[in-house]
Amino acid sequence: MTGPDSRWPGPPAGDKAKTRVDGPGTTQVTPYARMPGGGISRRPLHFIILADCSGGMKGEKIQALNFAIADMLPHLAAWERDQEQAQVFIRAIAFATEPWWHIAEPQPVAQLGWKPLQPVPKGLTNMGPAFALAAQALAPGRIERRALRPALLLITDGLATDPPGGFEAGLSILMAQPAGKAALRLAIAIGRDAQSAALDRFIGDPGVPVLVADSTEDIADRLVAVSLAVSRMSEAGADRGAVAGRLFGVPGDVASKIFDQDTIV
Amino acid sequence: MTTDSTTDSTTGKVATWQVITGSARGAAHRASGLPNQDAVASQDGPGGVVVAIADGHGHVRHFRSADGAALAVDVACRVASQAAAGLAADATEDEEAERAGQELARATVADWRSAVAGQLEVRPYTAGEQSILDRSADTPVIPYGSTLLVAVIAARWLVCAQIGDGDMLAVRPDGSSFAPVAGDDRLDGRRTTSLCQPDALASFRTGAHDLRQVPLAALLLATDGYGNAQADEPWQPSVGRDLAELAACRDRHWFGQEVPGWAERCASAEGSGDDATIALLLPGAGQDSAGRDAEEGG
Repeated sequence: MTGPDSRWPGPPAGDKAKTRVDGPGTTQVTPYARMPGGGISRRPLHFIILADCSGGMKGEKIQALNFAIADMLPHLAAWERDQEQAQVFIRAIAFATEPWWHIAEPQPVAQLGWKPLQPVPKGLTNMGPAFALAAQALAPGRIERRALRPALLLITDGLATDPPGGFEAGLSILMAQPAGKAALRLAIAIGRDAQSAALDRFIGDPGVPVLVADSTEDIADRLVAVSLAVSRMSEAGADRGAVAGRLFGVPGDVASKIFDQDTIV
Repeated sequence: MTTDSTTDSTTGKVATWQVITGSARGAAHRASGLPNQDAVASQDGPGGVVVAIADGHGHVRHFRSADGAALAVDVACRVASQAAAGLAADATEDEEAERAGQELARATVADWRSAVAGQLEVRPYTAGEQSILDRSADTPVIPYGSTLLVAVIAARWLVCAQIGDGDMLAVRPDGSSFAPVAGDDRLDGRRTTSLCQPDALASFRTGAHDLRQVPLAALLLATDGYGNAQADEPWQPSVGRDLAELAACRDRHWFGQEVPGWAERCASAEGSGDDATIALLLPGAGQDSAGRDAEEGG
C-alpha cells in the first residue's frame, strides 16, 4: 500500500479521480482508487534561467529583464494548460562574479510569482560557475528519470569575464551531465555587443542562433520566442526541425539534425 | 483483453497463467493526430504462454514505427512460442534457459528485419518517405524503429528479453519486486535503444528465472508511457506491493476490467500523455493433471 489514504483493497467505490496539489515545488499527483502505485502525474519539464546580474545590468536593463521574465511565465503556464504532456517547473540562477540560486527549488510555472533580480554593483559576468551550478541541479538523482529534456536559457548583456579556462571548465561540467548535454540550450544577448562565440559554444549548435535583443523592448519578444521553443519542441511527435526553422529562421533540415538525437542510441 | 494459458509445473500440477493487456493512445498523440504506436500480442499453447509489447518511436524519422512495433510483437510471439516448447522439456537446466533468452533475442532481431524487408517489398517507400530517409541518411530499417519486451513462461521457467525503454516488473507474493532483465544506463529517459539500430542484438538484455525458486504473484510488462506517468520515483516498489495485494484478492475478471483503464489513465493528459501499453501475467491456482479446474470461480 502506498500513501495514508488506504486506497485499497476495498470494494469498487466509483473510482473517482481527484487531483492533489501539494503546494509549490511539488508535482500535481492524480491518485486513482484501484490502480497500483502512488498515482500519476505529467512528466516534468525543467526550465532553468541563467540571468546576468553583473554591474552592467543595472537600471533599465534589469528592469526590462524582470518585466520580460514575468511576462513570459504566463505564456508558459498557458501552454502547460493546453498541452497533453508536460508540467513545467522553473528555477533561476543569477550570476555576476559568482552565481547564486535566485529560485533554488523547482516551482510550478502556474504558481510562480517572479521576484525581481537585482544587479551586483561592479559584479563581473562569470558564466562558467553558473553552468556548474546548473549542472548540479541536473545530475542523476537530482532530476527525475522521467523528466523531459530540460531547457536552459542564458541571458546576458556582455561578454564572459571568466578567468582563463573558467568558461570552458563550467561548460564541460554542464555537458558532462546527460541531462545537461541533452538540454535545449538557448541564449539571449541584450545588445549586439553581447553576441559572442562563447554564447554559441553554450548553445552548442550552429542551427540555433543567439537571440539578440537590440533594445530592452526586444527582451520580452525574445523571451516569447524562447517560451515557444521550449513548448513546441517538447511536444510528442513534433517536427522539431520545422519548429526551429519557424522560430529561428534556420533551414529545417539543418535544425532537424539538432533536435532529432533522442530517438535511438 | 484476457487470454489464458497452461504450463506444466514441477509439482505435477498444471499452473494457469493469465495474460491481461491494455493499450491506449497517448493524449499528446491524439492531439497531434498520431496513432497509437504501441503494439501488444500474446499467445498460449501447450508449451507455455508468451507475451510481447513494443513501442514504436513515433518520431518523424521513424515514420513507420507503428508498423515496426506491430511486426515486432508478431515476430516475438512466434519466436517465443518455439522457445516455450523447448523450455517445457523437463530437463531444461539453467544454462539452457539462459541460452534460450539469447536465442530468443537473436531470432527475433533476424526475423524482424526480414519482416520489415518483406513489408517494404509490398509497400515500398513513397517519394516523400524516401526524401526523409535521404535527408537523414538513414537505412531503410530506421523508419520502423521500435522497442520490444517479450516474456515466456514455460514449465518452471520465466525467460525475458528486452531492447529499449519500458519496464518489466516481476512481483513476488510478499510484494517485493525485481526487474527480470538487467538495466541499461543508456536509457536515460530521453534516448532509447532500438530494434532498428545496426547492433540491435548487442543491446538486448535477457534473463532467465526458475519459478520454483522465485515464485511470482505477477509479471508486469509496460511501455514507457506507463512508467513515465507514475508519480512515485522509483515507482516499482509501490506498484509491486499493490499488485501483489491485488493479485491475492482479485480475480482475473477484475483485472480484465481494470487493466485497460490503467493504460488509459497513464496515457491521459494527467499522466505521461504518451501511448501506454500494459501486459499483466497472473498465475492462477493450480490444476491437477486431470485438468480439474481449481481456479477461482471468477
